[in-house]
Amino acid sequence: MKKEMIRIENLKKSFGDLEVLKEVNLNVQESEVVVLIGASGSGKSTLLRCINFLEIKNGGKIVIEEEEIDPKTHNLNEVRQRVGMVFQHFNLFPHKTVLENVMEAPLNVKNQSKSEAEQDAKALLGKVGLSDKADVYPAKLSGGQKQRVAIARALAMKPDIMLFDEPTSALDPELVGEVLATMKELAQEGMTMVVVTHEMGFAKEVADEVVYMHDGQIWEKGKPEEIFDAPKEERTKDFLSSIL
Amino acid sequence: MFDLAHILDVLVESYPLFMKGLLITLQLTFVSILIGTGIGLVFALFKISGIKVLNWIANIYIALIRGTPLIVQIFIFYFGLAELGISAFWSAAFGLAMHNGAYIAEIFRGSIQSVDKGQMEAGRSLGMTYGLAMRRIILPQAFKRALPPLGNQFIIGLKDSSLASFIALNELFSIATTQGSRTFDEMTYLIIVGLYYLILVLLFTLLVNLLEKKLSAGE
Repeated sequence: MKKEMIRIENLKKSFGDLEVLKEVNLNVQESEVVVLIGASGSGKSTLLRCINFLEIKNGGKIVIEEEEIDPKTHNLNEVRQRVGMVFQHFNLFPHKTVLENVMEAPLNVKNQSKSEAEQDAKALLGKVGLSDKADVYPAKLSGGQKQRVAIARALAMKPDIMLFDEPTSALDPELVGEVLATMKELAQEGMTMVVVTHEMGFAKEVADEVVYMHDGQIWEKGKPEEIFDAPKEERTKDFLSSIL
Repeated sequence: MFDLAHILDVLVESYPLFMKGLLITLQLTFVSILIGTGIGLVFALFKISGIKVLNWIANIYIALIRGTPLIVQIFIFYFGLAELGISAFWSAAFGLAMHNGAYIAEIFRGSIQSVDKGQMEAGRSLGMTYGLAMRRIILPQAFKRALPPLGNQFIIGLKDSSLASFIALNELFSIATTQGSRTFDEMTYLIIVGLYYLILVLLFTLLVNLLEKKLSAGE
């Protein structure tokens, strides 16, 4: 049986009086790609950010690789090393070159040797097709290139799980494809991924499970063909017809 | 009164004396700015820490320093520290450092908060501790943004060091006033000392501009 990478039980999160997540349950198995869809404000980004504890839950359980994580007692920095994240706005470090961006955490968090970190970083940049940009500063890159560097930077920590928070939403349409291709390749290599996206083509093609969120709850989930071709819930149908 | 030849004569003649004063002014400025920058950084981090006690300490400190004249602070330090056997130079240096520190704290706080919060999140998502992300990711970017207002504060600090003449420290301004009253030629010495400060400030501005250029290279 495959390892259970993420288990979320009755997860609750509020910002002030606003209840953003109401009793969310979700399981992600090893090598599985789960795509979260839903309107903005439905809580999908917040759910993602709870998984690597950038937001701290108000209730419920988060189990990462079969270990329940309590933010009060666990070393969250250690957990985050195993759960990589890619952001909508890339968040590359502007004062560091592409290579330095990728090497930063292995050098200073994992205390890898410089030669080892550099070797790994160069291999990762090759993988995302940006070997020739190693010594360039992020400002000189296109959005698609920036996002691929951000993916390489997250992978440099050798995470077991990768979270993608609308990774193509800030990109010009012609640059979306290169980022999705990199993500698809990663999925094929067996990376466990949770992806918030509006790219339904990607969801259909790559996802093992599609989760539709509405109003802080998981409204419907299933295989891509179930959700896209035969949604059971009215809301899901409405949402899909509004974006397709 | 504006006899240029006379001013030049006195300038050349008083040059060795003023050099001694200049040296003390520079020492005083650099020591107080260095310590002041350290103090400023600590209080800026207090202010953004989100820890109430630290916020309060920083707020009270900044309110006290900004709410009282520098000359009063220097005298308090001078009379307070003299009893402990601390020299006039170090009293003035600490007084100026505490004063600069309060202003530099506000400069650093503003520049740290101006760095996009996604930068801290990116650092934390890679497993960095708050301190490591602050040191490696936030502060280098914040420092670059702080440089123009810091340069400005440094210039103010340089000129403020003239107040140390009131506690009998033989820096630039004090040389000018002593020589002026000795020779009854105050105006000449004041013009000369003004020139010294002007040149120092211009050199300093040049240095800050160079540093700014160098730091923004590549981006």
